[in-house]
Amino acid sequence: MSWRRLRTLVVREMRATLRDPFTLTILIAVPLVALLAFGFVLSTEVKGLRLVVLDGSETPASRRLLADLAAHGTFVPRRVATRAALERALVDGTASAGLVIPADFARTLARPEDPRPQVQLLYDGAEAVLAGNAEVYLQALVEASGATLVRGGPPASAGVRVMPRALFNPRLDGKPFMVAGTFGFVLSFLTILITAVSIVNERLAGTFEQLQVTPATSVEILLGKLLPLGAMFTLDVVLMMLTAGIVLGVWPRGSALLLVAVSAYYVSISLAAGLLISGTSATANEAVQKTVLVSIPLVQLSGFIFPVRSMPAAVQWATTLFPATHYIALARGIYLRAEGVATLWPELAALLAFGVVLIGFALRAMGRRP
Amino acid sequence: MSRFWRNVLAVGYREARVMLHDQAFLIALLVQPAIMLGLYGGVISTQPANVPWGIVDRSQTALSRRLVEDVQASGYFLRPRRVAGYSEAHALLRRGTLLAVLVIPGDFRRAAERGRPRVQLLLDGSDPLAAARVGSYVAQVAANVDVRRELRASRPPRPPARAGAIDARQRFWFNPTLRDRDFFLATIAGMLLTNISLSLTGASLVGEREMGTYEFLLSLPTSALEIVLGKLLPAVAVAYVLLLAALLGSGLCYGFWPAGSWLALFVVTLPFMLASLSVGVLVSTFARTSAQAIFLSTFFILPSFVLSGVGLPYQLMPHGVRELGGLFPLRWYQIASRRIIERGAGGAEVVVPTLMLVLFFAAMLVVVRWRMKPRLG
Repeated sequence: MSWRRLRTLVVREMRATLRDPFTLTILIAVPLVALLAFGFVLSTEVKGLRLVVLDGSETPASRRLLADLAAHGTFVPRRVATRAALERALVDGTASAGLVIPADFARTLARPEDPRPQVQLLYDGAEAVLAGNAEVYLQALVEASGATLVRGGPPASAGVRVMPRALFNPRLDGKPFMVAGTFGFVLSFLTILITAVSIVNERLAGTFEQLQVTPATSVEILLGKLLPLGAMFTLDVVLMMLTAGIVLGVWPRGSALLLVAVSAYYVSISLAAGLLISGTSATANEAVQKTVLVSIPLVQLSGFIFPVRSMPAAVQWATTLFPATHYIALARGIYLRAEGVATLWPELAALLAFGVVLIGFALRAMGRRP
Repeated sequence: MSRFWRNVLAVGYREARVMLHDQAFLIALLVQPAIMLGLYGGVISTQPANVPWGIVDRSQTALSRRLVEDVQASGYFLRPRRVAGYSEAHALLRRGTLLAVLVIPGDFRRAAERGRPRVQLLLDGSDPLAAARVGSYVAQVAANVDVRRELRASRPPRPPARAGAIDARQRFWFNPTLRDRDFFLATIAGMLLTNISLSLTGASLVGEREMGTYEFLLSLPTSALEIVLGKLLPAVAVAYVLLLAALLGSGLCYGFWPAGSWLALFVVTLPFMLASLSVGVLVSTFARTSAQAIFLSTFFILPSFVLSGVGLPYQLMPHGVRELGGLFPLRWYQIASRRIIERGAGGAEVVVPTLMLVLFFAAMLVVVRWRMKPRLG
């Protein structure tokens, strides 16, 4: 391998990339757009959910209950006249929850010797995630409002009160979680996709064969292609970090340098994966199909959005075989919990091991193929 | 039959033959539904499970042990780990070893006797979705611990007070146990169709241009519109095959059948498929190579999945992002399929999403016509 030839090839590749506005746009715009899109989508805050109310009581007490619900801001109550209208609102999804207040609500509430007044809370279980979030709020609100409605002040609460305190992210903001995950997503999916497609395209266009008649070896040719791409993606990491900080207000709490170093190493793993995919694909379309197939588990099983610990045991074990799982865990640890090498070493070691194996395979494949 | 439709059918026939020869495509057609059914049916869930947690029990009384047992019995948690104090709790949370630590104060029992028992729950906020859920589970379990009964063993019984002022009975419609599986399975057809439709039109139209077969088609007595329609025809057929595969797959594998009208589902699929395919056609007018077409499609598919609400509820997204998701056909299709498949709706309830899809398709046709004119004129 000659460093001079490699340098020439790298310079050629850089010039070619800079002259191609399409690739350049993709390399810079897509990571940033993905960051902004993903950054906003995860929200734990329940606000402005539509609630249909069938008030059979129509008394000051029931109106008071509704006013309490509306005042909190979590729900926007809307009255309906009939049970059928309430059911329709739930079926067509215009309401996320329903509340049925019985006709004898005020009467039973006023008399302590009677059983407690019963209200019915109905949730749209079809939106399972939403219903799970709404449930906690609605029940607590009804409970709290009911306590103030009873004469003689609130009854002593029966159970234990829990004072939650979230460390590292007191308001349970979804943005930092998603930002750190998006690094994993971009550096896996986008990197593999662009690497695989651009190598296949270059092979189809015949430029590899042209280069092959020069004294350059195939390892040099491929490295000349991969190194600039890797540099570009590492630059993306820095750009994404700045964008997340300036636009979303999410800065890494741990060492930014460690994050960039780990990311650069992870980029080389993805480049190797892209190279391996390109080697088995005859057309760009085939390379994309394969990348998408590889990426489905990358995105869905790596803990990017869906928690790994909720998966069946066998799948949990399988997820440890994806480098992306370890990289996302590392990115989150550094970004959100300010972890350092001292506590992250098991993940780092796993990533290192996968990298050595994958890059080894890729280098061997490079030597074999034109 | 008019000349126009004969030409469309001829192009459609040719396209179907080409499709059947493309092995990579056929494999993708088989593998993608299988993967989606497996992932969304059995693997992925947003509900916390196997949550690693710890306890700092400074009270060490029957009451505190009861609270821990009750939380444990909710089924979301692993066995609790004994934690010595705050600094250890903090370290374990930071390392991600634990997701939550319950701190029971030393005066817990005394506070309970006075009627104000309190505990603290430390959560790892770096995983906000899980932290929020776990926090509310623990709060719910704790609120239902019958403190008085636990204390009664050692104290003279008091008259039982009413537990709360209002007895709230809750029920989850359409999905009584709030299974994430149903939530996801209702939309996998939409995801599959989005995936396939873009790769069918975008890449294939550009591919023809690259290979020069497009010029060949144009040299025949067929118009550009006939070619595009002819290309859409087999794609729509593929869409229905995929829809059936998704419905039968989730029915046979998981016993999850559509609760509503199959007919309505088939009807609303047509404008959705046409809308998605027309995005592919639009992509083909921008892309010069099939690689570019693939990139552009991918970057339409991704935001579709994220912003449409198939995996995370769009109702919780901030304004702006939520409305942005309305620009993707998948948003309207997932709304319609949730109504039909999960909530048992018929045609009447999905009129609005269907109209939105038709509107989207019409708008795309206008744009595509305007983009294609200079090239085909």
